[in-house]
Amino acid sequence: MTFPTTGPLDRRRFLTVSAGAALAATTLPACATSVDDGSEGSGAKRGSATVTVMTPDDEKKAFQAAGKALGIKINFIARDETRLNAMLAAKNPPDLVRGLGAVETPYFAARGLMADLDPYFAKSSVLKVSDLDPVNDVWRYDGEKQGAGPRYGMAKDYSQDQMFWYRTDLLEAAKLDRPSETEPLSYDEWLDMGKRLTKRRLGKVKVYGMSAAGLGTFAQLMHMTASAGGSLFAEDLASVDLTSPEARKALSWYLEYARADVGPNVANPNTDGWDWPTYQAGRMAMAGDGYWFGGAIGGDPKIAKVSRFAPAPQLGSNRVSPCFGATGYWIPKEAKNKDAAWQLFEFYFAGKPAEDRAAGGWGIPSLKSLRSRMPQGTEFQKQALRVQEKEMEHFSVLSFTPYAQVTALDGIINKVLPRAIKGKTSVGKVADELNELMNEQIAKGKELVG
Amino acid sequence: MSTGQLIDQTAGPRAATSSARRPAGSPRRPTSLRTRRARSFYVFTGPWVLGFLVLTVFPLGYALWLSFTNADGLSDNARFVGLDNYREVLSDPATLDSLWRTGVFTAITVPLTIAAGLLLAVLVNQPIRARGLFRTLLYLPAVVPPVGAALTFKLIFDRDSGAANGALDAAGINGITWLVDPYARYVLIALTVWAVGNGMIISLAGLQDIPRELSEAARVDGASPWQSFTRITLPLLSPVIFFQVITGIIGSLQTFMPLLIALNPTPAGVTAVPESNYFYMIHVFAQYFANGRYGYASALLWVLFAIICVVTFVIFKLSKGAVFYSVEPEPTKRKARTIGGGR
Repeated sequence: MTFPTTGPLDRRRFLTVSAGAALAATTLPACATSVDDGSEGSGAKRGSATVTVMTPDDEKKAFQAAGKALGIKINFIARDETRLNAMLAAKNPPDLVRGLGAVETPYFAARGLMADLDPYFAKSSVLKVSDLDPVNDVWRYDGEKQGAGPRYGMAKDYSQDQMFWYRTDLLEAAKLDRPSETEPLSYDEWLDMGKRLTKRRLGKVKVYGMSAAGLGTFAQLMHMTASAGGSLFAEDLASVDLTSPEARKALSWYLEYARADVGPNVANPNTDGWDWPTYQAGRMAMAGDGYWFGGAIGGDPKIAKVSRFAPAPQLGSNRVSPCFGATGYWIPKEAKNKDAAWQLFEFYFAGKPAEDRAAGGWGIPSLKSLRSRMPQGTEFQKQALRVQEKEMEHFSVLSFTPYAQVTALDGIINKVLPRAIKGKTSVGKVADELNELMNEQIAKGKELVG
Repeated sequence: MSTGQLIDQTAGPRAATSSARRPAGSPRRPTSLRTRRARSFYVFTGPWVLGFLVLTVFPLGYALWLSFTNADGLSDNARFVGLDNYREVLSDPATLDSLWRTGVFTAITVPLTIAAGLLLAVLVNQPIRARGLFRTLLYLPAVVPPVGAALTFKLIFDRDSGAANGALDAAGINGITWLVDPYARYVLIALTVWAVGNGMIISLAGLQDIPRELSEAARVDGASPWQSFTRITLPLLSPVIFFQVITGIIGSLQTFMPLLIALNPTPAGVTAVPESNYFYMIHVFAQYFANGRYGYASALLWVLFAIICVVTFVIFKLSKGAVFYSVEPEPTKRKARTIGGGR
């Protein structure tokens, strides 16, 4: 179609030209997405002193202080998965992003969205690779497996997420012994305790005996399967198998837990959103949350006095105690101010913010040199540290697939399990349905990653 | 003859109109009405057209392009898949179920909210004491932001600590798990109907536009209040009701409220929406942001767009004899010419 370039612009032509401009604009993104020179700093405006950080509100102060100390202006964006995906899709990501290293690194790294931080670590005088806790390996991905290859990020702190906290007052009221500090309970024993601790009235649960929500149901199933000696993911991470004996055992346990209605589950989620408000209000006896939960407990002396920590339960004889978060920060490959972002990164991970975090009890510091700062001023903190140090021997990384986001797999569980929990669907059928839907989702992702 | 006139004659008519060569002080040629109207058109429509192109046409076009790909928004390996996404829309049980659920929700809530709004409008249109107060109170829920309303409902209907079960508890009745299946749908319908104030205000405006003389004349002729309502009020109110039907259906097909009653409006939260409230737009959001299927989700949006267009067209066609316009529609140009003597 051609448009005369001279002559008066009548209304019809005005609208035609406008529509043409819009059509042309529509085709631009298609061209833009295929442009990638692959260079590390493409599009970077070096020397710029403004860094865009995507982080939750509670981290704002730490970054503001860091920015002030370094003379860097910080532009905050509230942590929002939806917005992050949209910004990454538009190739206009923040410079520093908060994320879950354990489950997000393979996904983003496989799509070439994360900047390789090895050259930065090599030059750094404060972040020595030898000082990094092994948990930081979840932020590495070599194209095939997690834990090897370039470093794409770093954990701010971490926990072994299947460990649990309990309230001694509620255990005493139910005349139950405290769990061992060193020997894990079996999942069946844990569930039995949960059933005994649950209090009901007229169809309402007044006190949940336990919470096995952790960091999502898929992570929960991953751990249980691993502790039974199996694995949910195939070796190439390109498929799941929930029909294996170990995975079926894990599924059976979860269905029994949910049907018993002794804790929040996919059919009846916790409306508080997370375990702390329920636990604090005395409406939950055991919370399946890792060491980080001690940060919340430490803020309430009354609750701290009656709270104690226990090792992760085991479904079988394989004692594993994984981390599904290793929450930290990464720098996107398309970030415009990588150098300034790294300055902020260094200060946040090795400077005063890191020291403050280590002393706060909200997680195990990800630098070995900061371990000694973990809180041990009160009885509950001493006990928690003792249990945590013993549990460290059983730390293990359970690799996550690069072909799907954990929300997608949890979404499938959220769709399939509630029906099974309320009905009488057999474990075998549930496993088959989960397998089919999850593998379909993973296959679509694999097609794109190649 | 001045020098200027000489130049104009030799340069031809085009140069003669050029203001650059017009001698200083000579009068400006008056702008024609047509040109002035055209300028006004550009000035006033320009910003809107620009906004429309950038914020509507461009995203729609981009989504259309995406709908023919398997893009996840993040990978560079996305490829053209033709009509595969559209074929999947028509065969995916999850999509069809969510569409069916949305349709049923629409079929229930649209008539219910219009009827309830009309009933309230008739009531607050009566000459009663403190009428303004009643109008305000009934309209209040419509002013509450949807997020606030959803969170409030979530708190009220929480199984273990909500006020609804608290009331049942006081009466010695077992608590109900309101926010999960199968009760979640009733909570959602209640929340939708609760915000009926918007419909009430629109119907009230329509009612007040109906001349009182008509119903007074009907009463004199012996018509009962019901006859007066059904034979006079309803026909005269039919354009207002028709407007509410159309906007109600479009809004209801795009409903996103379940996400707000879910645990949190995030990709993880959207996948936790109870099955009975898993509506089409929730499915679209889940495909985009939980499953990273930008191409498929875009196809879903285009299908919804087509459905809304078809439904609206059908309703317009079906309503031709049912909607009564008290003002005669403007005659078309051809008819106007005939009326005007065919000038």
